[in-house]
Amino acid sequence: MPTGPLEGVTILDLSQGIAGPFCARLLADYGADVVKVEPPGGDPLRRVGPFYGDDPHPEKSLFFLVMNLNKRGITLDLETALGRRLFLELVRWADVVVESFPPGYLSRLGLDYSLLSGINPRLVLTSITPFGQSGPYSGFAGEEIVFYAMGGIMAISGTSDREPLKHGGNQAQYEAGLLGAAATAVALLHADATGGGQHLDISITEVVASTMVVHQPYYAFSGGIHGRRPPKGTLLGNPMPCRDGWVILQTGGGATWEEIADFLGKPELRDLKFATQEGRRVHGEELDALLLEAVKDRGRWELFHGAAERRILFGIVQDAKDLAECPQLAARGFYREVEHPVIGPIRVPAVLCNMSLTPYTLRRPAPLLGQHNVEIYCGLLGYSRQDVVRMRQLGVI
Amino acid sequence: MTQRLPFSGVRVLDSTYVFALPYTGALLADLGAEVIKIEGPGRMDVTRGGVWSGAFPENDPGEDWWNRSSTYNLLNRGKKSLTLDLSTPRGRALFAELVKVSDVVMENYTPRVMKGWGLDYPNLRRLRPDIIMVSNTGYGHGDGPYSHYPAQATTQEATHGHCAVTGYIGGPPSKAGQSFVDFLASWTALFAIAAALRLRQRTGQGQWIDIGMYQCGVMFLSEFLMDYIANGRVAGRLGNRHPSRAPQGVYPARGKDQWIVLSVGDDEQWRALCALMGRPTLASDPRFADSLSRLKNHAALDDIIAQWTSQHDRYDLMHRLQAVGIPAGPVLNARDLHLDPHYRARGFLEDVAYPPERGIGKRPLIGRPWKASGVPARIQGPAPRLGEHNAEVLLGLLGLPPEEVRGLEEAGIIAQAPRDAHLEPRPPAEEMVRMGILAEWDPLYRQRLGI
Repeated sequence: MPTGPLEGVTILDLSQGIAGPFCARLLADYGADVVKVEPPGGDPLRRVGPFYGDDPHPEKSLFFLVMNLNKRGITLDLETALGRRLFLELVRWADVVVESFPPGYLSRLGLDYSLLSGINPRLVLTSITPFGQSGPYSGFAGEEIVFYAMGGIMAISGTSDREPLKHGGNQAQYEAGLLGAAATAVALLHADATGGGQHLDISITEVVASTMVVHQPYYAFSGGIHGRRPPKGTLLGNPMPCRDGWVILQTGGGATWEEIADFLGKPELRDLKFATQEGRRVHGEELDALLLEAVKDRGRWELFHGAAERRILFGIVQDAKDLAECPQLAARGFYREVEHPVIGPIRVPAVLCNMSLTPYTLRRPAPLLGQHNVEIYCGLLGYSRQDVVRMRQLGVI
Repeated sequence: MTQRLPFSGVRVLDSTYVFALPYTGALLADLGAEVIKIEGPGRMDVTRGGVWSGAFPENDPGEDWWNRSSTYNLLNRGKKSLTLDLSTPRGRALFAELVKVSDVVMENYTPRVMKGWGLDYPNLRRLRPDIIMVSNTGYGHGDGPYSHYPAQATTQEATHGHCAVTGYIGGPPSKAGQSFVDFLASWTALFAIAAALRLRQRTGQGQWIDIGMYQCGVMFLSEFLMDYIANGRVAGRLGNRHPSRAPQGVYPARGKDQWIVLSVGDDEQWRALCALMGRPTLASDPRFADSLSRLKNHAALDDIIAQWTSQHDRYDLMHRLQAVGIPAGPVLNARDLHLDPHYRARGFLEDVAYPPERGIGKRPLIGRPWKASGVPARIQGPAPRLGEHNAEVLLGLLGLPPEEVRGLEEAGIIAQAPRDAHLEPRPPAEEMVRMGILAEWDPLYRQRLGI
């Protein structure tokens, strides 16, 4: 059985942080042979929490672990001549290089795409950066909050009486990682047909902006500009408190408004003024009060399961504990256990989607720093063990 | 240089609705696939006129409003449109004929629907052994307890864990501004289809790609899951702050609803910020002198920064902050995405020209969020009118005799106008601004866009 649909694809992952490593991890998850190339000091994500047991040990970053599953790992200092030589030898082996350096960095090292593709014409170079390789902001510094702001999403997140609101966590960088994996898979398909590689230029900010599929054309078609939702009269479609948590309800599923009203057990909701989208908007504040009253004493699970039986679109606010214990995720095999040499056995979120011919395999945890130096430099490139010791002493690996 | 595109020669049946997989189909069309969108004459895509349909050109629904909504037109550019009533045996038989001549089938019905129609993967595979089928559902197929639950992104955002970590500090859990998880499913599908086609080329085998949006959303919270799994910790909401960088936030800039975000990562950036604000002594103020103190005294710091930013233009602030290495940028809205010099320089939006009889003119639409050297991907053409390619597909591709196609039309199995569709009236733009549905209406948009 193949390890995945990308079996046989060889990848050097020079990237650091979240977006690039997540891209390379997804490619590894679906079968590619990925070698993560870290500077001798390690990927800075090794210093980012959460840590196993809250111990900020460089091999115990759980964030690093989940961004680098299924990869082997070597160290290499690209800022030395020997490091660059070794890298170019690896480029002959690789189908794909993933990188997240500031635009221009690889060129300054003499390692730009034209040189790399001269060595390996089929090479796909996947570059994931805050603002892309070109344009007036390409040299700007990015951070998660900047991606949301300049990607257009913050302007419509939060409520209109307050400041714009960032998404929780690192959604933009994950998004760019997933998009990077998709673009790379597309480029590999193209390389099969044409024999030629590509330089993929992915801007994290543009990835976020490309989700504005309602709001961008709304302006181009009519001049209308959306903002944040009004704080009152908009509870339908947003979280509402119930007895033991928060729930969310939307229209547009298989259930009619009357069925929703009956489910909520409030006869007043059957009033015709609430029967249309427009009516629910006009009478929004009245509707808010009725909805709050309807759910406040009910339990979230009873509501969640009951709504589903009636084909009502309904959700509950779940936190990390709920998700770690979720029976649906268990049934789908979403979590897998991996044995980490320092941490021990640990359960990790693993499966993005299921593919019938090539079931997901978790083959290895994230690499320890330089774990596969001997395997790669001796086994793949043919250097001697003594050479590898010299490389280490020279600080190249 | 060859003009071949990555999906040239690939035919995709796109029997999908709303955002996620329709967007995948649009990207596949940009990249050279022949994408045939299939809708029921009585079950057209809700983006043609429902809640998420967006706006009509110049707010005028026109005669054929179902072909004119902005969201539909973005998500279905470059496709062919076939109507086919899959609730009829004849409709399903024609679908089966199309499967035989296609490479990829995409659908996003709840799990029992395709099975009930005899069009699930085992059946499609009998029709075409190397078919690649993509199913996108809320919770994924199988025998899980929620597998048959209906879902859309709005409510899933809560269930997949996003709302729990999003929201103002001290406030309720909050949704993001748009249909977040749909895009994760959309790109997952693009990824899996490309990978599956690659494998098919090598092995001759197709497969079934079973996407549960729930999983995609949960995956994007991996660090929170790990903190619970390893340390038993459930994270709270941080608003616009960062767990270790400080100050970080969104601050008012000069003008109405104008904002700048900034994020200070170290002492050097902090000193640079103090210098920019004209308050160099603040750098050594013990309340703010080191990172941990800045985190602790964040609120006091926010007031000081807001005082400074509110006197300056948001773009001016961006340039000054970036010049000293501080990650910063203005909060851009939908209009800004059209006018910002960086987006323009990179060609983020692509102009789509409609034939004159469509009455839509020319509109810029979001292209693809990546650039590929040497690959002439672009939006290949406008979204089709409902049923526009009925004849082309049924006569040309399937070779049906013309009288049979006429019979299908008479029987209502195909159509060029929706059955029983009505459009809820909408208030004028100015009224929507008053009601808070829109933040602003810009009457000069056509002039600004040059359309």
